[in-house]
Amino acid sequence: MNIMCAILGSLGNVALVLLVAPFFQGVLRKVTALIQSRKGPPLWQPYFDLLKLLGKEDLESGQTPVMQRFAAYLSLATVLTLAGFVPMGFPAPLDGAGDVILVIYLLTLSGICTLLAGLAAGSTYSLVGISREMMTMIALEPLFAVAIVAGAVHTGTFRLDTVLNGSVYASGGFPWSGVVLLAVMLLSFQAFVQRVPFDIAEAETELMEGPLIEYSGPKLALFKYAQMAKLVIYSALFVGLFAPWGSALPFPLGWLCFWAKVFGLVLLVTLVAATHARYRIDQALRYFAGLLALALGALVLASCGY
Amino acid sequence: MNARDRLNQLKAKLGPAILRADLPGETRLFVFVEPSALKAICQHIFRDLDARYVISIGLDDRPFSGKFLVAHDFAFDRDHVLCSVLAYLPADNLKVDSICDVVPGANWAEREIRDLVGIEPQGHPYLKRLVLPDGWPDGVHPLRKDVPWNQVPEGFDEEGEFKFDDPPEGCTVVPFGPFHPTLDEPAHFRLYVEGEMVRGCEYRGFMVHRGIEKLAESVLTYDDIPMMAERICGICGCVHNVTFAQAVETAVALRAPPRAEYIRTIMLEIERLHSHLLWVGLACHIVGFDTLFMQSWRIREPIMWMAEKISGNRKTYALCVIGGVRWDITPEVKAELRQVLDKLEAEWRAVVAAVSKDKNIQKRTRGVGVADKTLVKNVGLIGPVARAAGTDIDCRRDHPYAAYDRVEFDVITEAGCDVWSRVVVRMKEVFESIRIIRQCLEKMEEGPLQTPIEDELPAGRIGVSSVEAPRGESHHFVITGENNRPHRWRVRAPTYQNLQAVPMMIKDQQLADMTISLGSIDPCFSCTDRLETIDLKSGVRRVWSQEDLIKMVRGR
Repeated sequence: MNIMCAILGSLGNVALVLLVAPFFQGVLRKVTALIQSRKGPPLWQPYFDLLKLLGKEDLESGQTPVMQRFAAYLSLATVLTLAGFVPMGFPAPLDGAGDVILVIYLLTLSGICTLLAGLAAGSTYSLVGISREMMTMIALEPLFAVAIVAGAVHTGTFRLDTVLNGSVYASGGFPWSGVVLLAVMLLSFQAFVQRVPFDIAEAETELMEGPLIEYSGPKLALFKYAQMAKLVIYSALFVGLFAPWGSALPFPLGWLCFWAKVFGLVLLVTLVAATHARYRIDQALRYFAGLLALALGALVLASCGY
Repeated sequence: MNARDRLNQLKAKLGPAILRADLPGETRLFVFVEPSALKAICQHIFRDLDARYVISIGLDDRPFSGKFLVAHDFAFDRDHVLCSVLAYLPADNLKVDSICDVVPGANWAEREIRDLVGIEPQGHPYLKRLVLPDGWPDGVHPLRKDVPWNQVPEGFDEEGEFKFDDPPEGCTVVPFGPFHPTLDEPAHFRLYVEGEMVRGCEYRGFMVHRGIEKLAESVLTYDDIPMMAERICGICGCVHNVTFAQAVETAVALRAPPRAEYIRTIMLEIERLHSHLLWVGLACHIVGFDTLFMQSWRIREPIMWMAEKISGNRKTYALCVIGGVRWDITPEVKAELRQVLDKLEAEWRAVVAAVSKDKNIQKRTRGVGVADKTLVKNVGLIGPVARAAGTDIDCRRDHPYAAYDRVEFDVITEAGCDVWSRVVVRMKEVFESIRIIRQCLEKMEEGPLQTPIEDELPAGRIGVSSVEAPRGESHHFVITGENNRPHRWRVRAPTYQNLQAVPMMIKDQQLADMTISLGSIDPCFSCTDRLETIDLKSGVRRVWSQEDLIKMVRGR
């Protein structure tokens, strides 16, 4: 019965993510357009875009087409697996199947898909793109890990339901480490969801989409879908770790409260993306290094009980 | 100092080498010299007298003098003098000393002369083909008078390939173009990259050279050419249109009526407005700041509508004929233009205020794509690139034309030498353009639009004209000819000089800065001619030539 619940629940989460991710993308595009004095596409345009791409001829291109196909499948699969481990208005359905360490691994895996995609294309541009992606990953992944570990230190467990429930504030007294980590995550969130100013690896005007350079049709649709889903899942993770308030309310309220917060985060991402120019990789790395130092400081605070 | 003083200076130093000199007015100087002394004189003018190098011209003058002609154009910007140094070469010995080692900016111009006219620059450091297609046979020079404009020479190899130089050791090659999202026209930069650093590059352009000069010399007439000239560029076309008309007018001592001069000024400034607004938008797009890209294009749009109201077209205004203009500015248009300018000024002020405070854009543009004063001097850089390096030059003030001597404006300079300074210069120039148009609308007098031309234009006269295009000086050199068309017309668009500095500007910079550095000169290349298809089932490749494509499109 429990297993059935978990399976059905995670399928529910997956379906939900697949359903709302393009909608959030639509919101992002519409709001961006409004900021830019444009009309913008209708909110449901991303659904049509995906359908159109999925219906196109599946071309084999690039250096290793097999790896390219695999990377596209893996990319979406990873993100959807993650959906099962993230609470979305309800407790995480796959709560018992893994802990936060698994979540960290899955996050890394989705980055690795981009690497595989770039390698498979074998173009100079995609190689430059993945070298940038690598550098970003190395600097960025520890940030999320530190936030999760800090939460785990406070609560003394790696369990999903405990950690992804505002655990960063669970210290005795004023949650210093939690506040610092909240700031760090807010400042780096744009990079996690790969939007301007941190879309460095794809940088259309420099690298012509970098790792995705050889992608078209259905495979591109999968990658795009994964990217849209990532925005939702990272937002959900953020809400779980840093803003769990209200999620415990009875069903429609808690659920609505959760999605309202996710929506708010998407709006924030849109605003930042629309008002910034892209950073250069060295500038971005310096920025991440500063944040990482802060985050490590917060971890020390956390282990001291603050 | 006027042109005569400059001539006396030259005579004092290099008297015997000067064969004759023409002084049509105070602002033009044509010096005919011995070919053997050409380099020494150019060195004197460029280094000792500190003139600015403009362009070099080659010409097959056999129908007139039985000889070939080489000319190097210089500008004494402070003295308002444009100067040509010309030398006749005997047809059986087409060699001339290269001036490239004293005037590095002559590199392309001399290679072009070699390609198109067949005059060998002796001692040129890098004699690689520049303009002609890769499969073009050696020894056929299209600008010679015995080559028809539509000739495809024997031995032309459609499949001919360009031979690139070897990359330096330890560098990988990143091909940039011919097609790239930030290149609006085809041009190829072969970047040598070490990690993320650009260590050098090789440029191959001229992929869509259209032979407009040849057409003008052999098919078109004086009044057709301005319309052809404005098709040289999709953004600053009116500039070429005006420059050509002015070059011919100075050659035959003709002057457009005052009202026509005001209208030319207004249209040129309208063009600068829309070009600068377009560029600021593009630059923002290149660094990923699309909001400002959209906003500056929105602000630009009413200017396009005004251009359409005046000329019937958003671009390609078909403004000039020799001796005047074709469109009048009516009182209604005048009133509307004033309103549009007021709104534009207010909106642009808001944008400038926002950009000036934006740390993020400055981070991406400060210290990037540096072109300092030395590079500006050596390569003959012009326009916002020169002014952003503190070099105070502007043809509107230095070589006044149209009605620019009757309006007040400031020449904007900055000292940063980098992309950011170029952004600032262009943003501020928008306000100066608005100021100029307002003054013109105020001062414009009633009167005719064209000066009637009673007789045929005399042949064999030389005329030069420089116009400050949005990207820098656009320079036209015309020798009048018979049959109602020029004998030689040489166009030097501003990008011709500015592009030559790009390899120096991007050297030892991050790959990410390449696009904005190139973008910062606001490059204008010029559409394409072949395509390859592969049949996936059989693996058969087929290259579709220009001819095949034309047949497919036009044939039955």
